[in-house]
Amino acid sequence: MYHIIEFLRKYYYILIFIVLELVSFWALFRFNNYQGSVWLTSANSTVAKVNRLYFDCQTYWNLGDVNEKLAAENLRLQQENHVLREALHDTKSDGGWIDSLTNEHMKNYQYISAKVVVNSNGKKNNYMVIDRGEEDGVRKDMGVVCGTGVAGVVLLTGPNHSLVTPIINNHSDISCRIREENYFGSLQWDGKNPRIAYLDEIPRYAKIKKGGVIETSGFSSVFPPGLYVGKINSVGDSPDGQSFRLEVELGTDFNTVRDVNIITTPYKAAIDTLQSRAMRESPQEM
Amino acid sequence: MFQKILSLIGLGALLIFLQVTIFNHIHLLGYATPLAYVYLLLKLPSTTSRTLYLLLGFFVGIVIDLFSNTPGMTAASLCAIGLITPRVFNAFVPKEKGEEVLHPSVHTMGAKPFYLYAFFLTLTHCILFFSIETFSFFNIQTLLLKIVGSTALTFFLVFVFENLHPRRSKMNA
Repeated sequence: MYHIIEFLRKYYYILIFIVLELVSFWALFRFNNYQGSVWLTSANSTVAKVNRLYFDCQTYWNLGDVNEKLAAENLRLQQENHVLREALHDTKSDGGWIDSLTNEHMKNYQYISAKVVVNSNGKKNNYMVIDRGEEDGVRKDMGVVCGTGVAGVVLLTGPNHSLVTPIINNHSDISCRIREENYFGSLQWDGKNPRIAYLDEIPRYAKIKKGGVIETSGFSSVFPPGLYVGKINSVGDSPDGQSFRLEVELGTDFNTVRDVNIITTPYKAAIDTLQSRAMRESPQEM
Repeated sequence: MFQKILSLIGLGALLIFLQVTIFNHIHLLGYATPLAYVYLLLKLPSTTSRTLYLLLGFFVGIVIDLFSNTPGMTAASLCAIGLITPRVFNAFVPKEKGEEVLHPSVHTMGAKPFYLYAFFLTLTHCILFFSIETFSFFNIQTLLLKIVGSTALTFFLVFVFENLHPRRSKMNA
């Protein structure tokens, strides 16, 4: 104890120096944009690394669960495949042609597999960060799907990471339709239950069954048509009373999303050019 | 003694005034900016406590920061100079004069030790200040040019200040 006091008495000015330097650097980072931003980014990359480690661990512990789910999904798909193949065989004798048509269609969509590194839910505007970016071919507005259905849309891309707007984000807006009915609307989330989203703008004359399947419409060029989104939970009225508002139970549980695929469409660039050209030229016609 | 303190306060005020009105706006060849306020710490008498060195460095730095819109930069670097000045002074002061109260100047220390002492601290301060200002060693060539240019200019000013008051310095000695 005596030694500590003696030490402090001898070197108290070092303590004063440290305090003054801390104050200076606080002012430096607080009031200077440049130094502040450097500090923030370097601090942030550290945070990202820690998050990454944490998620790696979590992924490992959840592997059993994920595996089970995948197996169940696989089984369901195999059964579905089997049923569909038989139905196809029954209705069309020339099944090979349809198969080749489907393959031809799907050939143009390619998948980039990615892992979710950061995931938020329980907020109003949730987001996910995935470990694939510009260098892996990910671009803004590409669709993101996971084993249990549609997950979201790429919002921002970095060199190695991308930010995804999941369905459970207030700004998410995905064009969906009811399977085999072809009524379509936009899927939106109200910020409450992460398992429930709403499909608006369904006309009142549509025949809707509870438990019907909601899939992507393919209109937005982000997703190919026919990807599973969720099931109809109940049918309600839209706020203006003009159309139906369907409560959709999402296939994807955003609490446990780990592995996702990013869909790259070669058509997208072409469609976007057309749209932007239309936007540019329409005012002149008017 | 009281007169000495007053003249040091006057010197400090003058240096701060010159720095914020004139020296901050000099960018010779785009690199060299004189940081003349360091002269105040150089001139503190040998009996000054280490705490006073630190506090003076910090507060002079803060005042200059406030006026030149660089919060924290001068304060951080000048405070560090306040920490090392007494040590450097002890290293450069001639041995036989170690006991009495010494007011550092060319006349009390001799030209060579004083200018070495001044040059070393000016260089250290310029290195610290511009490293904090640039805050990265990415563009190291520009940084080095800034440090060398500003050290030269500041040292030149210290030389001028030192020779502006030959009469008073002789009186001190």
